[in-house]
Order: sequence, then structure tokens, then C-alpha cells
Amino acid sequence: MDILQNTIASFISLIPVTLAQSLILAFVVLGIMIPFRMLSFPDLTSEGAFPLGGCVCGVLMAAGMSPLTAIAIALLAGFVAGCCTAFIHLRFRIHTLLAGILMMTMLYSINLRIMGRSNLSVFGAPTVFDWAPGLQPGFPASKIVVAGLIALVVFFLLYHFFRTEKGTAVRAVGANPDMAEAQGINVWLATIGGVGLAGAFSAGSGALMVQSQGFADVNMGLGILINGLAALMIGEAIVGKQSVLRQLAAPFVGAIVYYQLVSFCLAAGMPPPDLKLATGLFVLAMLALPSLKRSRGPAPARETVRE
Amino acid sequence: MLEIRSARKVFYKGQADEKTALDGLDLRLGTGEFGVVIGSNGAGKSSMLNAISGALVLDTGQIIINGDDVTATPVHKRAMRLARVFQDPMRGTAASMTVAENMLLAELRSNKRTLRRGLNATRLGSYKERLSLLGLGLENRLDTRVELLSGGQRQSLSLIMAVGGSPELLLLDEHTAALDPRTADIVMQATIRAVEALKLTTLMVTHNMQHAVDYGHKVIMLDAGRVRLEIDGKDKAQTTVPDLIGHFSVKTDRMFLAS
Repeated sequence: MDILQNTIASFISLIPVTLAQSLILAFVVLGIMIPFRMLSFPDLTSEGAFPLGGCVCGVLMAAGMSPLTAIAIALLAGFVAGCCTAFIHLRFRIHTLLAGILMMTMLYSINLRIMGRSNLSVFGAPTVFDWAPGLQPGFPASKIVVAGLIALVVFFLLYHFFRTEKGTAVRAVGANPDMAEAQGINVWLATIGGVGLAGAFSAGSGALMVQSQGFADVNMGLGILINGLAALMIGEAIVGKQSVLRQLAAPFVGAIVYYQLVSFCLAAGMPPPDLKLATGLFVLAMLALPSLKRSRGPAPARETVRE
Repeated sequence: MLEIRSARKVFYKGQADEKTALDGLDLRLGTGEFGVVIGSNGAGKSSMLNAISGALVLDTGQIIINGDDVTATPVHKRAMRLARVFQDPMRGTAASMTVAENMLLAELRSNKRTLRRGLNATRLGSYKERLSLLGLGLENRLDTRVELLSGGQRQSLSLIMAVGGSPELLLLDEHTAALDPRTADIVMQATIRAVEALKLTTLMVTHNMQHAVDYGHKVIMLDAGRVRLEIDGKDKAQTTVPDLIGHFSVKTDRMFLAS
């Protein structure tokens, strides 16, 4: 009984910290969801864009820049990284996943170049979390409030955007690029802009993370992609993905639930090194479920039209 | 008005399987004219339509729509002037989006897309009205995802999407070939009604000789990448299915079966 009580007690004490962390990481999940679901462009850039945002933000903070400007420049860097991935795919007809791997590998060197070393402490520098009204800076509550507010604003802006005329056109590119082009939509522009936006969200998440934890590290993106995917799967399993509203809510809900689950597993005594294996198996199971449900045979042949 | 001037396209140039898809093709279609394109497989029908829509870049030659040379214009810019219905119902619509969203995309084909709300009450009302003309009940399924519709319903939707906004040029690429005979007939009748009502300049590719005889002002027969025969005016009115088939250099059973 003691073990159970200890587990629950340490899990509960970790809830606020985990919540703050998950709200910050929800933006990476968003940066994974937008290309994957809205543009049918499975993308790995976030694994490089997340530390890119962190490194850029860290260096600028260390140079004494205001935390908001640092985040803005990190967003821009992430946007450019995303645009590059999309451009590599479109121009050279390289598979989206390979384009993402190329980009994230190259970004590792770039991140090292930006920082000049593998990690950088910015502890004590002013952060956006200091501005939470009436709360003591540095505590989870201020992070929850600030990150939560940003998440709300981003959510509503995106929800509005994807229902505008331009936003509908962007979704059409993901649904059927041939049709989108025949309806006068510039597929290149929509893809590059969309994947760029996703890169900006990933980088923004990295920047917030650096301000939250007080240091930047080139290895901070390691495994962020698989965590993000797992969070997305959980979110979609909970809220669904049938409408724009649900699809946009999934990353946020998923991130919050996923990191609480991880925290619970760790509180229950799961060795941290096993975490990636468990996460990987979980994502595999979620992706394999639909095909297991359908039948045991191979995937059904696609219906084709003669000629 | 559509004009194609000595269009030439060679695939796999310089390789063993070099193939001339368009061999100096010339074509003129007047404003409001309805041309029906026939020809055996590999005659260059699809290449011609792709060249007109911009999906295929010509080696040499020109495409002129209403006096403007669009040879170098990319597909999405040409879409402002022309609309196309594909043979495959899957290609002409966005499956994971709703009927109303597909209608919206088509409406915006020739307009500038803004950051205003896409589907507003006015638009939904007009989509309902336009879809009700088909008599397929699509007007009550505006929020249904297109992937849940049957092939015939999807193709009918593609057609309504294409003729909306009166494009300068309508391209129909065997758009009834993948449908069962009854549905094909419904879609064909809806096509004729729309083309006549809106006086659209139309180019329709078909393998159905009966359609070629029954509809349109002009029959254009392609062979080996060029126009082999053009029948219009009074001659067109007197043409019969066996006449048309007689012009094919290679006769296949499929033509007889299809007519």
C-alpha cells in the first residue's frame, strides 16, 4: 500500500510542473499536426526546429535582449527552417520525410554554430513568465498562466484562419493537391507557408522551454518528435479529428494528457531510459490499430478507374 | 475562344521509347462553341487537355484563350479562366472536406481569396439552390464529407463546381466514363443543360460515339497527335455512329460496345 500511496503522492505533487511543461510543448505538437493532418505532409523538421528556437532564444537572452524579441526571432528562424523543408520537397521531389531528416540533421550543426557550444545557461535572465499578473515569477503557476494564455490565443487565431477563404484553400492542398491546383490555388505557396508556420510553432515552443528551464541545449530536441506524435495520437483519440475545431484542439488536449501519463509512469517507478521505448510502442500501436481492426490481410487494393 | 497553334510534345525524347504525344496540333474553338473530341487511345486527347489546362508543358506551340497567350502560365493561374471535370470522380473533389467547402473552393477559383469567413449564410443559401438543380438531394448534405458520396454524386458535384462562375473554357475529360449508364446519363443531361444555359465554350473528350453524334456543334477527331478530321455545321447534324467509327484507323470492339 505504501508504494501506491507514494506513487500517487509524488504524481500529484508533480501535476503543476507537468502541466506547465505540457502547455509549452503543446506548440511542438501543433507544429507536428499542421503539416501531418492539414497538409498531408508528414514532417520531421520539428526535431530540429525545436532546439533551433531554443538556441536562438538562449543566445539572444544571454546577449541581453528582451524575452519577447528573443521569442519573435526564434519564431522567424523556425519559420525559415520549415520553409526550407517544404522547398526541398517541392523543388527536388524528395520525399517529405527525407527532406525533414536532411533539414533536422543540418540544423544540428547550425544550432551548435548559433550557440558556439553545446549548452548555455540563461538562468536569472528576464523571461515572459515574469509578467504573469499577481504571481511569483519562477513558479509553475506563472508558467501555466502565461503558456495557457498564449495557447488560447493561438488556438482561436488558427481556428479562425482555417475557416477563412485562404485557410480553406490551405486545407484543400492537403486534401487533394491536384484538385487544389485546378481550383486556382498556389500549391507551392500554401505548402511552404503551412510547413513554415509549423516550424515557427516548434521553434516557439523551444524558445518558451528555454525561458522556462533557464538553459538552452543542442540536444533538447532529442525524441521530441515521437513524444509529440504520441501526444497527437492521444489527443485525436480523445477529441477526434472530424472537424477543424476538433483537429485543432487535439494537440493541446493530447499534450496535456500525454505528459501527465508520462509523469505518472515515472512516479510509479518506471526507469526513465525505458520511456522512449514505451512511447514508441504506444505510437506504433495507435497507428497500427486501424489496420488491425479492418482485417488480418494486407491493405485493400485501391479502386482504380480504367485507362 | 480557344486556339491551339502547332502544339508539339514529345515524351522520353531521345530514348528508345520516345513517344510523340502532340505532333503540331492546331485547333480553333469559337466562343460559345461546344466541341466533342474523339480518337483512339494514345491519339493525344488527354495530352491536349493537359496542355490546355497547363498540367503539361509544351515543347513548342501556343495555347491562346480569348486572345491571351497562356502558354507559359502555370496551372493555378490558368484556373481563373478555365474549369475542368476529370474522368476520375476522386480527382475533381477534396474527399476529406465537406460538400459546402468544395463548392466554396470552386467559387473562389476565379476570385482573390481573403481572410474573411469562407462559408457564410449567403453562400450556403446559393450552394443549396445550385445543388438542388441536380435533383440528387445533395442540397441537404452540405455538411457531408465528399468521401461519403457515391461516384455519381461526386461527379455531379464536380460538374456543378466547374460550371459555377461561368468559366471562359470548360474542359470535360471523359467525365461520364467511370459511371454506371444511368448515372452517366444524369450527369450528361446536367452537363448539356448547364453548357446551353450558360453558353460555355466547351471541349469534351469522349469514347462514346453516340454522345459525339448527339451533342455539341463540332466533332474533332484526333489521331497520332494531330487533328485528323473536323465535322461541324450541317455535316455534323447528319453524321451517324457508323460514319464516325469508319474514320478510325484502328477499330476496336470497345467503340461498338460503347455506342
